[in-house]
This record gives sequence, structure tokens and C-alpha cells, in this order.
Amino acid sequence: MSLAAEAFVSQMAAAEPWPESATLYQPLKEDQILLSDCASSLAVQAYLRMCGLPVQVVYKSNAEYMSPSGKIPFIHVGNQVVSELGPIVQFTKAKGNSLSDGLDDVQRAEMKAYMELVNNMLLTAELYIQWCDDATAAEISRPRYSSPYSWPLSNVLAYQKQWEVRRKMNAIGWGEKTLEQVYDDVTQCCQALSQRLGTQPYFFNKQPTELDALVFGHLFTILTTRLTSTELAERIKSCSNLLSFCRRIEQTYFEDKSS
Amino acid sequence: MAAPDELFCWEGAWGLPSVSSDCLTVLAYAQFAGAPLKLRKISNPWRSPSGSLPALRTNQNETLSRPADIIIHLRKQKFNADYDLSAREGADSLAFISLLEERLKPALIYNSWVDSKNYVEVTRRWYAEHLPFPLNFLLPGRMQRQQLETLRLLRGEESLEGGEELEKELYREASDCMNLLSQRLGARKFFFRDSPSSLDAYVFAYLAPLLKAKLPNGKLQQHLKSLENLSSFCSNILLLYFPHDARESSGGQKSSSPPQPEGGDYDHVPNKRRKQLMSVLVALGAMLSYAVLTGILSIQHMQKEALEAPPPDRQTLDPLDEDEEGDG
Amino acid sequence: MGTVHAKSLDPLPMHGRDLGVHPDDLVELPEPEQESKQEILENKAVVVQHVNVQGLGRTKEDLLGYEISEVFHAKNLIDVMKKSHIARQKLLRLGIFKEVEVLIDTSEGSDALPNGLDVTFEVTEVKRLTGSYNTMVGNNEGSMVLGLKLPNVFGRAEKLTFQFSYGTKETSYGLSFFKPQPGNFERNLILNLYKVTGQFPWSSLKETDRGASAEFNFPLGVTNHTLKWEGVWRELGCLARSASFAVREESGHSLKSALSHTVSIDSRNSAIFPSRGALLRINQELAGYTGGDASFLKEDFELQLNKRLFWDSVLSASLWGGMLCPIGGQPSSIADRFYLGGPTSVRGFGMYSIGPQSEGDYLGGEAYWAGGLHLYTPLPFRPGKGGFGDLFRTHFFLNAGNLCNLNYGEGPRAHLQKMAECLRWSYGAGIVLRLGNIARLELNYCVPMGVQSGDRICDGVQFGAGIRFL
Repeated sequence: MSLAAEAFVSQMAAAEPWPESATLYQPLKEDQILLSDCASSLAVQAYLRMCGLPVQVVYKSNAEYMSPSGKIPFIHVGNQVVSELGPIVQFTKAKGNSLSDGLDDVQRAEMKAYMELVNNMLLTAELYIQWCDDATAAEISRPRYSSPYSWPLSNVLAYQKQWEVRRKMNAIGWGEKTLEQVYDDVTQCCQALSQRLGTQPYFFNKQPTELDALVFGHLFTILTTRLTSTELAERIKSCSNLLSFCRRIEQTYFEDKSS
Repeated sequence: MAAPDELFCWEGAWGLPSVSSDCLTVLAYAQFAGAPLKLRKISNPWRSPSGSLPALRTNQNETLSRPADIIIHLRKQKFNADYDLSAREGADSLAFISLLEERLKPALIYNSWVDSKNYVEVTRRWYAEHLPFPLNFLLPGRMQRQQLETLRLLRGEESLEGGEELEKELYREASDCMNLLSQRLGARKFFFRDSPSSLDAYVFAYLAPLLKAKLPNGKLQQHLKSLENLSSFCSNILLLYFPHDARESSGGQKSSSPPQPEGGDYDHVPNKRRKQLMSVLVALGAMLSYAVLTGILSIQHMQKEALEAPPPDRQTLDPLDEDEEGDG
Repeated sequence: MGTVHAKSLDPLPMHGRDLGVHPDDLVELPEPEQESKQEILENKAVVVQHVNVQGLGRTKEDLLGYEISEVFHAKNLIDVMKKSHIARQKLLRLGIFKEVEVLIDTSEGSDALPNGLDVTFEVTEVKRLTGSYNTMVGNNEGSMVLGLKLPNVFGRAEKLTFQFSYGTKETSYGLSFFKPQPGNFERNLILNLYKVTGQFPWSSLKETDRGASAEFNFPLGVTNHTLKWEGVWRELGCLARSASFAVREESGHSLKSALSHTVSIDSRNSAIFPSRGALLRINQELAGYTGGDASFLKEDFELQLNKRLFWDSVLSASLWGGMLCPIGGQPSSIADRFYLGGPTSVRGFGMYSIGPQSEGDYLGGEAYWAGGLHLYTPLPFRPGKGGFGDLFRTHFFLNAGNLCNLNYGEGPRAHLQKMAECLRWSYGAGIVLRLGNIARLELNYCVPMGVQSGDRICDGVQFGAGIRFL
């Protein structure tokens, strides 16, 4: 979705095979990264693992500014730089790796719609909780976000970021929502995902797609990240099939690799 | 349920019940759900209780302005267009609404507010003609800046530089989105089952203005028109649920273009006259105030005379007062 | 002293130019009066009884006291004139008066001594607020510069300047406050607040700096010193999507807080076309000690020697060098490193296009040196001599230099070796145009000789402007 006109990217990327030296950049894992960035980054990592494309994760404190779209994460492959899941999916597709080729038109439409559901509701809710909930912003988001910088720049950057996110929330009409309403939105979103998943192993039956990677990235991150309140994780935990879905992907794509 | 809720909406144009997508969403949903609303079509957002349109004033005197909130409110009043949907279908409609908001909305904002030809010839023109006098100079520009800011924030990029590249990308995303919708809709009449639901309301609201407006730069419009099932979906809803507006437009269409511009002229002429009148008044006012100012200066020189031959400035002021009353 | 001057006095009142002071700014003494007094006073001891300053508005008198007190110590008329003249120069230098005129008269009034003199300075203050407006057009962008100057804000020669530039690409501004020590104008304090945006296409880099600095200038013997603290918030970004990854890695925010000291000795007779004298400037900067993210020690120097030869031609030799040592294991930032090459440094190479690079973006180096040998001559056949033609010089030059990164573990011998290998050099000739007394334009024909792969050369005609030149 970034400035990366995907068509351009795919033109450039075609033919060349996936190099061993591909790297994925994200902010510092221990001290800096925030829930929403971590979720997006995990989604991309999950997607690349599902495709069987090796990528080395690099932690840089200025990853956000290195990214061509200003968004986390981005990958550096050959001399290409591509950020965010959508363009990365296009990019791998141009290189001959795709997870959604087996779907028919309606299924592909549904897959894209559900991906936007995750972006529209889960990602926005994560941003809302990080920056618009005062307790979370003060205790977690601002200190973590500004950790690589020295005073007074740290404060300036953190408040600048908070201000920007709040303006975005106002622009999309989330400004007046209460925290409770946001949690309800998350519940609604999770129930929708849970309904769609049903008893299948993946959203479109046997094969994982980019939607599975995206959902896994967000849910797993929410479940494993400590926030000021556990409410967000609790809302997800009410959908048991999503929990086992997360566990399944973790076991299939993350655990056996590390062992 | 004593008094019905009051809904404030933008006026319609191009055979649509309203020009704004947000208003159309609410209108369509209310029609689908059969909610009895007291409809107020206005062309002055300042007359809405929330200062923006749409706005719903409930009988408890609450004011709601986000379409999603209004729909939730109507649902609570048991006007639920999604009543028949299964849980799975409900999930799907949530997902597709997100798709619309993430993929189609930025392109539509670009199409009508950023693309300069469309903005000047259609969007600004419509608002300038329909807003009441002082606002018609102020609001279109302000609305454009707000929309630009919204677009910038939606994209999350530093600036909206990149002109053509940005347009291409937005339109490509939007065309993709329309393709997906068209595939999802297939040959059916509505997205789910035989009756329209909230998803139909959203799709209709986003696509109908794009389909019906006469845009000079119609790249996106062309694409929509090429997707036959989607465009007939919009016309269908228009015919079934807004027969009044649709007839108006088809009546206009039958006698082809002549009545349309005439109608435009009919709207146009009083404005023109009013503007002419205004400019004459402004010029007159400036001349008079200059005269008064200099008059006052000279009066101070010869105050005694001024007492005898009373107010030359009053004489000059009086006609001005009359003129202003006549105008107001 | 007095007697010496008295002896050589005769021709003097008629020819004020021989006073031995700068010829440009003459004391305009009222002539008839001067002549009539001359007979009576020329050899006599006089006493300056009163010094008046007329025309003061917001200027505080105590400030002027320092500048004109010398006049009281004059013992005879010549001395009075000379000291008044110097005092006038001092007053003008403060930059707070548009005009200063000196009147010397015999004392009048009840307490007047027979040999008493009154000196009156008639001054015209500059306006409280002056504004300026410029438009500038550069490559692919235009900008408008608005300047506001408040000279003498608080009445003691303080100066407040504000500059705002609004461009098609970016806006910059600067607010600066200047405060000299009364009676010692060279000792002054400057405070700055600014935001500057720069685009560096040779590195595909754009940089936005917002910062504050405090600077203290003072002379010490023949040397001039500047002590400075600067705190800058720097924001680096890629100029284009196609920027190399090495530049991309440098993107982001950083805070630099640095202390720096500059010492300079300048005995040249002109800053742009000197014909004699030398300049030595040594600058050292320590960043990180006072906070901030960047920490390094940076040293650099500039040396220039000029010698007049036959027929107004001048031989000039320059040497620059510098080193940057990162402290604390952090790599240096692209914004702090040195750059070399361009029409006013090592000629025959593209602007800052020497040394380490990645995908065509120059990354700068941590050490450099550059030397130049010039022969300046007036234009052939000397058209416009004494006027327009003096703005031009022709020159023949030989430039050399090198820019690289050092491995600080290796020791000085290895460093010297590294600086000596991979040498870049070029020669050529061209025309130089002086712009005011601060900058110059050069149009040169260059022949780059020593070139390393990756350098961007400019073989043939090269045009450029610069304030600092090799």
C-alpha cells in the first residue's frame, strides 16, 4: 500500500530468485517495539515462513524512518526495499511464491475483505489503545517509543507520534470512541474471524494464506504482549477456535524451525 | 417511540437522494430496515444539530453523526436490516465494509476532492451552488482541506506529494476493490439473500455517487460502469428504494440534457443575480464609507455649519441601511 | 608623541588623508573654521573639555562612553582630530549609526578654558527595525526570504535578526541575538535558534535541522577564538525512493550536542583575493559530552599562504585536513562526516563526489586532506582596470586531496599511508569573480588526473560558487 506502486515492484522483482541474504527490519525487540508494529512484523514473518522464504530479522532503532512508507516492517531483498504485508505479498508473487493461487475469485475477494477487516479494526484498535488510552500511552507506548533517543528529543518524538495517531483517529471517526467501545469492536472483529474460521484448520481450509499470517500476527502478539490491562487479550480468548488456530500456526511454522 | 427520530442529510443531486456517501449509507439503511425517520434534506451543515452531516437527532434528544453509530442506534430500535443474516454472513459483511473503508474510500476522496478537474467542475460547484451565501465561499475550501487531511492520515504518509503516482495507486486499489465486490456479488440482486442488508447500504452509498455524478475525469467511473452487475445493483436499489429521486433523474434523462442545464441555470441565475447585487452593494458600501469618512473629516472643520445643515452623513447612510435590509 | 606630531603638522590640516588612518572614511571637518583655528592652536597644548554626542535616541550613553573616552586624553589639536576620527570609526563599527560626523570647536560658556575644546559627535541612529525581502531561484525550486533586523534593540548595540525563508520545497527560519561587550566590540555573544532544511543530491539525503546554539567570540593577541555550544535535532531522510540502502540506514532522528572551539589567525589583506598574508584556522568539536546521541571528536584545520609576485600576480597555497573519531563504539553519522570535491575544493570532481560511496550515493569519510596551489593573475590585457576588471582574476591551479575512512586501531603510520595512497589530483585554469567580500564564482577548465573508481569527475568546464575555497 505504500508509495511502492506494486506494479513497479513486481516488474523490478520478476525473474530474480529469492536471495539467501533477504533481511526484515523492525524496531528493537526488547525495549522499543510497540504492539501494533510487532503484530505487523510477526504477520510478515509468518507469511514468509509459510512461503518457505528465509529471511533474517534485523533490529534497528530507526526502522520506522528507514522504511520507504514509514511503516513497519520492511524487507530488503537484493536491492529492493518493500514495506508492509500487502506489497510484500505482491512482491513474493512476482518472484513466483504465492499462497492464494488455489483460491477462486469469490474466495480471493473474501480473503482480501477479511484482511482489510483485520487492518481496519484490529490494527486500528491496537493503535487506539497504544496512543489514545492515557494509561497505556504514559506507561508503555511513550517510554518504549522514545527509548532510543536522549532527552529532550525522546519526549518530542513520542508526543509527536501520539499527536499524529490521535489525529488519524479523529479523521476516521474513532476519536470519540471510548475504550469500552474499542474493546467491543475488537470482540466483534474476533467473532467475525472466529465465525469465518469455524472448525477449519486455516481460513481457507487446508492451506494457509496471507490472511492466516495476518490474523496470526495480530492475535498472537496481542496474546503474548503485556499491556496495562489484560482486557484486549481476554476479548480474544473468548473465541477458542482462534486460540487453537494461533497455537497451530506457532507450532507448524515457528517451533520446528527453531528446534 | 412517540416522535420519530429526525435525520439531517445533504440534499440530493444527479438523481440521488443525497450527495454524500455517509448520508446515503444512513438513508439506504433506514430504507432497507423500514425505519420511520423524519427526513430533513438541507444544504447547510450549520443547521444540523452536530454541525456536520449526516446527523440523527433521536427522540431522546441525543445527536449521532457517525453512520455506524446511527445504524447501531436504528438496530437497537429494532430496525435491523441484517436480521436474517447468519453469523457467517454477518462476519462477511463486516469484512467487506472494512474493505470498502480501507480500499475504496481513499480513492473516492481523491476522485472528488483532490482531482482538480472533478473538484472544480463538480464537487465545488455543487457545494457552492447549494450552500447559503457566505458559506458557499468558505465551506467548500475548508471541506477540501479536511478531506485532504483525512486522506493523508488514512495513507499515513508524510505528504501527498507524488500526484500522478498516488492517483494511479489509489485508483488501482479501488478498481481491485470494485472487482472483488463484483465477484462477490455475482449475478445476485443483493449481497446476501433476497433482501438488502447493511453491506448493500454501504456499497450503494459508496458507488452510487461515483456512478451518477457527471465527472469530467471519469477513470474510476469508467471502471465501475464496466462492471455491469455492480452498476445495475446501484440503479436497482435506486429504483426500488428511492423511486422518487430516481424518477426525477430519469425524467430529466428522458428529455435528455436540455432540462438538466436549464435546471442548473434556474439554480444558477438567482445566485448570479445575488452575486451581482452583492458586488454592487460592496462597491457602493465602499464608496459611501469613503464619502462618510471624508465627510466626517470635513465636518470637524466646520462644526457649526454642520449643526445647522444636519447630517450629510445620515443622508448617505440611510440608503445603505435600506439596501442591506433589502438584501438580508 | 605630541611633539612628534606637532613637528610634522604643517601640511596636515589641508590634507586630512595623511592622518595615517583608513582613507575611506574621512573626518569631514568644517574647513573655514578649521583654518581660522589652525593658526592659534596648531602647536599649542589643548584640553578637551566636553565631548558631546548629539542625535541619540534609544542608544544608552554609557555604551558610547567606552568608545569616545580616548578623546579626552588628547593633548593637542592633531591628537584630538586623530582620536576623534578613531572614535568615529569605532562608533560606526557598532552598526547602530547610519552617520557620524565630528565637530571640533573652542569651548564656550562660563567654565571655558582659553585652550579648551569641545568635540561634538553628531550621530544619526539607524532605524529601529529594518526589513529585507529577497527571492531566490535554485535548481527546481524557488524561495522567498524575509529578513527582519532590529539593530540596537536594548540600546547597547545588541542586534536581533530574524530570517524566514519560504520555499517551494521547504521553509527555514533563524532567530539570532548578538550582544557585544560594551567597549570591546570583538568580544561578543551570539545566540541562535534555527530550523534549516537541506537537500544533498550527491548523497540522496535530505536533512532537517532544528537547533539552538550559543557562541562566544573573543580576540586573544593576534588570534580570534570562538567557543560554541550547539544542540541540534537532526532528521535525516532519503531524498528519493531509489536512495541506496546505506543512506536509508542512516535515516531517522538524532540529537547532537556539541562543544566546539575555533581559533584563527588571519593576516591576509582580503578574504577573497588576498595578495599577501596567511590564514590559519583550527576547529575542534566534541559531541556527546554534553548529552545527545552523537558522540565524536572532530578536528580540522585550514591553512592558506599568499605571496605577491611580479605584475600583480599572486601565488597562493592552501592545505586543509581533518579527522573524525567516533567515541564509544558508535559509528559516525553521515551528517557529521567530511566531504570533498567540487568547484571550489578539489576542482575537476563533482560536488562532494570523492571517496566512499554506495550505489552512487557518496557517504563521506572520517578523514581527509586537500591541498591547492594557485597562481592568480589579473585578466589578460587588464580590461576595466581599477573598476569592474578588478572583480575578476584568472588563475592556474593544481589541486590534490584524499578522503577515506580510517581504522583507528592501526596507528598513525598506517593512517598516513592510507591518506597518501589513492590520491586524487587535478589541474586547470579559469576565471574567478569576486561577489562582494564573502563569496566567489569560478569558471574553470579542469583536467582531473588522479582519479579512483567511484569518483564522479567533471572533465572540462566546471562552474561553481563558494564561500570557502581551496
